Amino acid sequence: MKAVKLQLATRTLLNPGAAQWDKVPVEEVRLAGMPVHAQPSRYVRTAWADRPVGAVRFLSVRAAHNSRDIIFRLEWADETENRDYANGTAFPDAAAVIFPMNGDAPLETMGSAKAPVNAWYWRANFEEDAAENLISRGLATEEVSGSGSVKARARWGDGKWRVIFVRPLTASERQGVEFKNGKPVKVAFAVWEGSNQERANLNAYSKEWRELIVE
Amino acid sequence: MVFDLNKCIGCQTCSVACKVLWTRDEGADYQWWCTVNTLPGRGHPRDWEAMGGGYRDGVPQTGRRPTREEWGGGWDFNYEEVMYGGKGQSVHLHHLGEEPKWGPNWDEDQGAGEYPNSFYFYMPRLCNHCTKPACVEACPRDAMYKRPEDGIVLRDENKCRGYQFCLEACPYKKIFFNFQREVSQQCILCFPRVEQHVAPACVRQCPGRAVWFGFMDDESGPIHKLVRKWEVALPLHAEYGTEPNIFYIPPVGPSRLNDDGSFDADTPRIPTEYLERLFGPRVRSSLATLTGEMQKTRGGGKSELMDTLIAYWWKDMFKPFDREPAEIQWQDLPLVELPESKGAR
Repeated sequence: MKAVKLQLATRTLLNPGAAQWDKVPVEEVRLAGMPVHAQPSRYVRTAWADRPVGAVRFLSVRAAHNSRDIIFRLEWADETENRDYANGTAFPDAAAVIFPMNGDAPLETMGSAKAPVNAWYWRANFEEDAAENLISRGLATEEVSGSGSVKARARWGDGKWRVIFVRPLTASERQGVEFKNGKPVKVAFAVWEGSNQERANLNAYSKEWRELIVE
Repeated sequence: MVFDLNKCIGCQTCSVACKVLWTRDEGADYQWWCTVNTLPGRGHPRDWEAMGGGYRDGVPQTGRRPTREEWGGGWDFNYEEVMYGGKGQSVHLHHLGEEPKWGPNWDEDQGAGEYPNSFYFYMPRLCNHCTKPACVEACPRDAMYKRPEDGIVLRDENKCRGYQFCLEACPYKKIFFNFQREVSQQCILCFPRVEQHVAPACVRQCPGRAVWFGFMDDESGPIHKLVRKWEVALPLHAEYGTEPNIFYIPPVGPSRLNDDGSFDADTPRIPTEYLERLFGPRVRSSLATLTGEMQKTRGGGKSELMDTLIAYWWKDMFKPFDREPAEIQWQDLPLVELPESKGAR
């Protein structure tokens, strides 16, 4: 997978509907539900034993950069726009772009103590442009780390979510993953369907790391 | 904690004591950590007994989260308009926004039965700080924990990310979701007071002297006497499997009235079968003990049980937590900082 180099202002690419995105090759990513048997809580394992996890199965991803910022555009079909907790009956929709902090990490456990992952996390009830920079060292251990300068902008329409994640290519080591031209970086994706009560480690994710090359 | 349902008059002082102290902020305003509901009744949240959770034979049971509507409450009123609007009698106090459909004591005083044998009693409920708390086990982030020093169940609001598995797992539905701060919240047993040997607010403020507070293993204390020695105080819905630490002395209640207006002394107006559904089969022996000891004292005899139940000295009901809250320099205690709002609000 390539993060295509474009001579465009970040401002332009921050718009999920920008025509320029059509020129960026799309990566079709198949998602699968997080396995229930691996969930850290016995309550969750029992309550979700017979329930389908990971309602969203297909994700389209485009990646680009302009030497300053790296930008990901995620798009997936979702009939229901879940923007909040719906008075206790649902959860907000959410998505994440995930990287190993240091080269490699176990994806199925969202990192480990020795090999953490960095997740750029957006949720539909965040304010405009807001995103969280998370460091995870295993299932359910995620912590918000600094500002991370990660931003996200989302639009829902025509039964689809379109979410842009953006971050400067250069970030301090403590805050998140590093990108170096030409050096492949592993990347994965996760989507939470709020109307299916998905949150925490109940989500759909790309089961394997993909190699991302920053052109 | 032990509540004597023979004494509770449903005055709601405990509910308000807690509300005024802990749940006034936005997001917490609809939460009533302590509620007093009329039984028989649907309770708070509405029909909570059908929402699952807890354990059966040690296996976690699937539960569901109450909805905002099932909790109800947190209403806004047109105070400004009534008090300062200059509209005199042309405007009256009313709620703003959607029509309320439920609240913390919505079906108060309705009860059940047919006149003249209608019946009801009041039941205060709060977090049971269970010995086997399903909420603690349910949290994948270990944000909920039970303190070893005093058994109080608390949550770490820095760790909580609002997953709400605790809400699903609690069979008593006494955990709430703060929709503004996106964390779960529940009764904290007034731990800042308890740490200073001051009784929880609901305990101390009860004008009916209907509640005792203390450690179970203090054999000289009332909790041990009422729960272990005399076995008159019983857990609510023990079948939920979490070993709650709040116990109830069942209401003896009045006798049934016959058609001719005479009392049927052998039949209580509150059906024992109904009390069994709440407190289990041991409720029969508890009621028998209570009525037996009450008879004894009516006949002039002595009863350690009645001496414990009658609040001769108010502070004996919650020793050694009998320090005056006014004595404490609360502002000198280390302040716990609330975590910053999450999610880039």
